[in-house]
Amino acid sequence: MTAASTTSPTSKTPAGTAMIEISNVSKAYRTDTIETLALQKMNLTVASGEFLSIMGPSGCGKSTLLNIMGLIDEPTEGTVSLAGHKITSYNGTDIARFRNEQLGFIFQSFHLINDLSVVDNVELPLLYRKVGSRERRRLSLEALEHVGLSNRATHFPNQLSGGQKQRVAIARAIVGRPNIILADEPTGNLDSHMGDEIMDILLKLNSELGTTIVMVTHDERMARKTHRLVRLSDGERVS
Amino acid sequence: MFKNYLLLSLKVLKRKPFYTFISLFGISFTLTILMLITSLFDATLGNNQPLTHRDRLVIAPSLERTRTETDTILAVDTLQLKDGTFRLDSTYTYEDDIVSTSNGPMSYNFADKNLRNFENVEHYAFYSDGNHIDGYLDGRKYSFQAYYTTASYWDVFDFSFQFGGPFYQEDEDQATKVVVITDKSAEAYFGVADASVIGQDMMLGDEVFRVRGIIDRPLTDSPLFAGDVYMPCTTLNNRDLSSTELYGGFSAVFLAPTPGQRSALQEEINFMSQNFEMPPDSYHDALELFNSPFIEGYAQGLLNERDPDKAMRLLFIPIVLLLLLFVALPLLNLINLNIGRVHERKSEIGVRKAFGANARDILYQFIFENLVLTFIGGAIGLLFALGLISYINKNDILGITRLSYSTEVFVYFLLVIIFFGFLSGILPAYRMSRANVAESLR
Repeated sequence: MTAASTTSPTSKTPAGTAMIEISNVSKAYRTDTIETLALQKMNLTVASGEFLSIMGPSGCGKSTLLNIMGLIDEPTEGTVSLAGHKITSYNGTDIARFRNEQLGFIFQSFHLINDLSVVDNVELPLLYRKVGSRERRRLSLEALEHVGLSNRATHFPNQLSGGQKQRVAIARAIVGRPNIILADEPTGNLDSHMGDEIMDILLKLNSELGTTIVMVTHDERMARKTHRLVRLSDGERVS
Repeated sequence: MFKNYLLLSLKVLKRKPFYTFISLFGISFTLTILMLITSLFDATLGNNQPLTHRDRLVIAPSLERTRTETDTILAVDTLQLKDGTFRLDSTYTYEDDIVSTSNGPMSYNFADKNLRNFENVEHYAFYSDGNHIDGYLDGRKYSFQAYYTTASYWDVFDFSFQFGGPFYQEDEDQATKVVVITDKSAEAYFGVADASVIGQDMMLGDEVFRVRGIIDRPLTDSPLFAGDVYMPCTTLNNRDLSSTELYGGFSAVFLAPTPGQRSALQEEINFMSQNFEMPPDSYHDALELFNSPFIEGYAQGLLNERDPDKAMRLLFIPIVLLLLLFVALPLLNLINLNIGRVHERKSEIGVRKAFGANARDILYQFIFENLVLTFIGGAIGLLFALGLISYINKNDILGITRLSYSTEVFVYFLLVIIFFGFLSGILPAYRMSRANVAESLR
């Protein structure tokens, strides 16, 4: 993955062009005695600026697909292209930089660092860029403002409600202005009211900033709010 | 970035007080002991006054006379002859050589005649140690360890004079009754160790000596300078000085011009002793003048071992092994604790990697955190060590030897801390830095 370093963190691919291309991707998990196919010959293209949701029963390969899109898991077969760059290696400094500049993650269980304050959590992606501490702080507060949590900047994650934690996680995902946000069941741990709030933020991000969003969900109601819904079953795309 | 790491390190330490306590206890206890050992080494073998030139010293504490004879065994047999008579038959069997030895310090006369003409020498001194002398003042008696030395003794050893100065060649030549005393002796005898003591008289034995100087008590109790009072050797009674025996109460110490010339000096000394002509009436037929550099001499004296190389091996190999073992145990324990600690933070590592941290960032973060922990442990250990050193010195727990606290010790200490922090952190950090991100976030 050598071309990644040439991409600017704020550059946007023109709307309508392919932001994510998954071609013939398979993923097998092997143990000594058994091989499990999590994904089979998957093909999927996500356009720039698109908000795509992925649904399917547990164990159908939704999260595996999302991880492969996010370059945090490696396909057994097939190719992945992100923002026009074909991924050829899943290790090393270049891929870390590419993840840092192009991708933002939102997890079902938030994955905030409890020992850091809200604003320090949001700053995290910027720590791995050459951004001065003042600029980091400014951008982080701006991201918190965006999700309506600027008044909680100095709080710690365990002082927040589930919805607030997820908003911090969104702020962390957008602070580096990535082209793509990958959200793995972002409303899964929240009640419907909080879930709606989070969904509204994601929709706003998508429409206002043009960020490409891929969201894994179990919630049909949330999925219907997105541009397109892809259904998986047993590692295969069924719609 | 480092602020973030530091902040996180401190928070992680606060989050797990028991883990932090165990880790800090292990680190600080180990470092305290290591610092005491280093300090003891520095006090005993370090470059401290009066041993600033220790790497140029050759010490000749004693000499040995030997006589080598071939062992002969006489066997007497009784033979019965055919005619019924008996005959005695004797057989001599020659066995290995038997070496008879006799050793001890040399006489002043021997040193004076044979040890003054070496080429590779800058200064040399003869001194008589181990003399007990009583001091008297106002009806009270004080016991002192007395050293009788040549004036050049003060050139060989760079004592730190608090007040006054040494005695000189003319004092030696004229057998002037002057004395240089340690600060501790001054305090014991005069009640104070200040400038007022210089020029005062001390009743030592049955003679009066005038105080010429007050020296700092050396850090260690080396037999080279274990005296409380030092007087010109010529003030000893005449019998001690003029005895023509080889043995007496004196030892010699030489200062080579450079450390490199030390072995040449030793060769000269050995050449002298190998070619020494034994007195015609002597039972012994050869002479050896023991001589060795300072540290080798220390090892030989401590272990009573003649071979300097063997003495060094016997002294230092067990010490190094023990130290390694002593460091290894808490180190392994810390590595184990760290593996558990890092494992608990799997999800954090996953998040960091997902948001752009590479393996090197994770490695640096955990090593940095570990260094913070070891530096805190080190600071506690340092405070404990300083307290213990002060307690040991104040109460003379190690006899004359006083532990030192020097920049050198502090540098060793810092190195040990860095070594500790780095080694105990690198393995767990390396393992986690290679962890699969998806796996870590599961």
